Amino acid sequence: MAIELKVTSPQTRRLITALTFFTAILLIPLVSAIAVIAAGGGMGEATREVFFNIVSWARLVAYGATALVLLVLAYGPLSRLRLWLLGRKEARWDRPWERLKAFLMYGIGQGRMPNDLYASAMHLLIFWGWLFLFIGTLMLAFHDDFVEYLEGYVYLGYSLALDLAGVAATVGILMALYRRYLWKHPKMRLGSLWDDVALLWLMLAILLTGFVIEGMRVGVSELQGAIIDVGGGREANPDWAPWSPIGFVIGKAALEAGASDGLMLGIHKVLWWAHLVMAMGWVAWVGYGKLSHILLGSANIFMRKLSPTGAALAGSALEPIRDFETAERFGAGYLRDFTWKQLADVDVCVRCGRCESQCPAWNTGKELTPMGFLQEIKAYLNEAGPALQAARRQDDGQQPEERKVAGDVVSFNTIWDCVTCGACEYQCPIFIEHIQKLMDMRRYLVMEEANMPETAQATLMQLEQRGHPWRGTQLTRTTWIEELAREGIEVPLFDGSQEYLYWVGCTGALQERNVRVTKAIVRLLLEAGVSFGVLGAEESCSGDPARRLGNEYLFQMQAQKTIETFKAKGVRKIIVNCPHDFNVMRHEYPQLDGHFEVVHHTELFARLLAEGRLRPQRMGDLWGVPTTYHDPCYIARHNDILTEPRQVLAATGVELLEMGRHRKHTFCCGAGGGHMWVEESKGRRINHVRTEEATDTGAQVIAVACPFCMQMFEEGVGSVPEAAQKGVQVLDVAELLERSVTFSRVVRRGS
Amino acid sequence: MSLHIICCVKQVPDPETPASQFKVDEAAKKVIPAPGIAPVPSQFDTIGVEAALRVRDALGDVKITVLSMGPDSFRDAIKHCLAMGADEGVLVNDPSLYEADHWVTAQVLAAAIQKLAPYDLVITGRQAVDWDMGVVGPTLAELLGIPCITIVKSVRVEDGRVVADRVLLDGTETVEAPLPAVVTVSNELGEPRYPQLRQIMMAARKQVTVWTAADLGLDPAQLKNRVSLEALYVPQVKVETEIIDGETAEEKVEKLLQRLVEAKLI
Repeated sequence: MAIELKVTSPQTRRLITALTFFTAILLIPLVSAIAVIAAGGGMGEATREVFFNIVSWARLVAYGATALVLLVLAYGPLSRLRLWLLGRKEARWDRPWERLKAFLMYGIGQGRMPNDLYASAMHLLIFWGWLFLFIGTLMLAFHDDFVEYLEGYVYLGYSLALDLAGVAATVGILMALYRRYLWKHPKMRLGSLWDDVALLWLMLAILLTGFVIEGMRVGVSELQGAIIDVGGGREANPDWAPWSPIGFVIGKAALEAGASDGLMLGIHKVLWWAHLVMAMGWVAWVGYGKLSHILLGSANIFMRKLSPTGAALAGSALEPIRDFETAERFGAGYLRDFTWKQLADVDVCVRCGRCESQCPAWNTGKELTPMGFLQEIKAYLNEAGPALQAARRQDDGQQPEERKVAGDVVSFNTIWDCVTCGACEYQCPIFIEHIQKLMDMRRYLVMEEANMPETAQATLMQLEQRGHPWRGTQLTRTTWIEELAREGIEVPLFDGSQEYLYWVGCTGALQERNVRVTKAIVRLLLEAGVSFGVLGAEESCSGDPARRLGNEYLFQMQAQKTIETFKAKGVRKIIVNCPHDFNVMRHEYPQLDGHFEVVHHTELFARLLAEGRLRPQRMGDLWGVPTTYHDPCYIARHNDILTEPRQVLAATGVELLEMGRHRKHTFCCGAGGGHMWVEESKGRRINHVRTEEATDTGAQVIAVACPFCMQMFEEGVGSVPEAAQKGVQVLDVAELLERSVTFSRVVRRGS
Repeated sequence: MSLHIICCVKQVPDPETPASQFKVDEAAKKVIPAPGIAPVPSQFDTIGVEAALRVRDALGDVKITVLSMGPDSFRDAIKHCLAMGADEGVLVNDPSLYEADHWVTAQVLAAAIQKLAPYDLVITGRQAVDWDMGVVGPTLAELLGIPCITIVKSVRVEDGRVVADRVLLDGTETVEAPLPAVVTVSNELGEPRYPQLRQIMMAARKQVTVWTAADLGLDPAQLKNRVSLEALYVPQVKVETEIIDGETAEEKVEKLLQRLVEAKLI
């Protein structure tokens, strides 16, 4: 069973979340209502004795144990907090309502879980089942100590609902046991820790003892009519019993097997105490190890990074280094260079393996695994953290021997393998922020140690000296403008009077293949009558590659320069076809006080088509051409632009064939995170894997919407045999649109 | 033992400028600077600094001075080398020297090096990547009266001697010389290191010493170029393409072979 069921449609995902939410909230009222209808009246006296068959001082024991257990529980997170405070400061308390909403949607509602249906179902059953049994116990305590309200139909509904919750949790636990022991799911590659195993069996034991206790009670009291605390009188209520269905079945079976009242009461008594001890033990455990994710995972969701610009993921916009002059260290080299939240992140990871299952680096045989590097830092935090914390408290200037995290605890290759595609962050159910940590370590390696792959170094040097990352190009930023002029097309230069600046980008101007896309976009903009201009020779690198390659200083210089140019020219709206520039301008320029409205070319073209300003031919040359669309990470996953490119493709008339991994589940082409210019460390090339996937759809054309994807697939279709044999073409969405649009305006001025 | 290494560095127009941008004023016999093309340190010279830094990595107590001659903009090249890890920068800036040929350049640099004495090793690139003449290094050695090892791929200092591996067409040659000496380095030595940000920031704060010809006790009137430029032009490259046509692939191959044989290429 290697298949993995996933829900990719956002509507379905929301539906699942909403359904689980409401079923859970309405479970008891709903079941009570059913009880009323089904029983048809006559059971208004139904209830149960809370401490049936148990000595009266057991109540005190239960409360005493609860208090003790809560103390033990609380010590766990507090001791972790002390370790996290090794890290630097970071504020995660702003916008509390939005945080609460996130907690409800993703914590209680488990909105991230449907990415893997089996695991999602398993976890939902355990989570909701367990939560309900917990709430049910509180309800019972309230009934026992304050107001006796669990009577009649409410009691019957309550009893049935709790039995259902118990069944749900049991099924969930069995699914987990199956997955761990028989399926041996690849996500459990790291094997089982002792608490992984112990917890499952403990929870199963708690559930099963609960059922047997109920069964004995139902058998003796409701079926046999033995009433314990009024001196052994008899008053059977057999028609109440089916409302505790599991207890009913067990009790009935015991009676059928000839068990005596005495035996059943004996079993009941022993298991009741065992159940109490196990349940209390479980509660105490919540403060520690794997179970602490119930509290800490929820807290982590509450303290997720909220983007001020609406970026989809924490890693969509990297945190800037605010002051280079006073920074103690650039990036994160040692434990104390991370923020407390980053250390909390590594600590709350429960190794569920979702991130790793989607990671392009890991899936092509590289060293990086998002889960793996978190676990490495976590292990080191546990090993060295207490001593470091103690040394800090003593403050005698003596630093204990400390291992470097960047390059030692976490390997050089791990840090450099990341393509910042965000698949890990999109998967993580508790919003761990993987990318910022890897980038902080890159920053340390680059800016403190100048320790990086040779290709990255050459790219950064190139960028610094020449303002673009394309070493050896024979084109200039105006070559394509001159070429269009020879065709009679005059490209307007931006002078502040136009509505839009069209940002061409380094790749769009300096790479032959991408120049064709740039020209297509310009022809379409002119045809649609969009008011725009370009910067020509005044463009320079946006800074994105520098930031993703860890040179934050160079990024800020380049970005600052570009922002100043924009401001000087009066730029307000920018059309960008490079998703990386799009993302950096939309989410990262505001950090440097550059606030512009940024639109991706696919968004703009979708709008121009809807407004009828571009008219594609019906049944044109592209009609029915099998085409697959590769969602660029920085457009789809980081920026939620999913439908517009597909609308443009639909307008061209191509037949769209989706790859298995599409929309927000897209698989990186291999060029993100500066990897356009960095050689892959080992394993298969990411772009070859993705090209195969695209070719397997039967597509004749791979449609892209990113200059780097274009480069990667162009190389891919030449190197992957199936693609080469079929002669698969790689075209930008804009190129497809250009081919299908009827050009009617006088675009070819002067010829 | 403390060692003093002087690295000579030149700034050049970016050699990776697209050829289409490269224009020459044939009448004035000058290269027209391309717009938007930043000057960069000549690559072999930064490799020279890398060689010096490697000597320091091995020995520890080494002072590295970067020496350059040219207009004020050459400071950028010096700053880059300081950011790589060099200790001090000296720029000889004298408008009367802007048209200097290799001979005058070597004389000025030699005077500056003597002013910087004591020194143990002078490292230059095998050639500057703009004019590619490759003579300043050896001329310096001649003027200073010290040994010279050219085009090397590694430099070590052992027991007061410099040991260097020279790059030959068919291998390497290990050469030793007493100090002080001049060594010119080639790209086989390896990539120059990437400056760490702290060093870039420190380099930005460092002062570059500026000297004029007079500071070196030289009279510009006495410094005469020995090389004069006769003509400067971009060579014409002509490419003729002939498309060989035919009905079938076999026919095309047949014709292609025929043409290659006619052209005596096979």
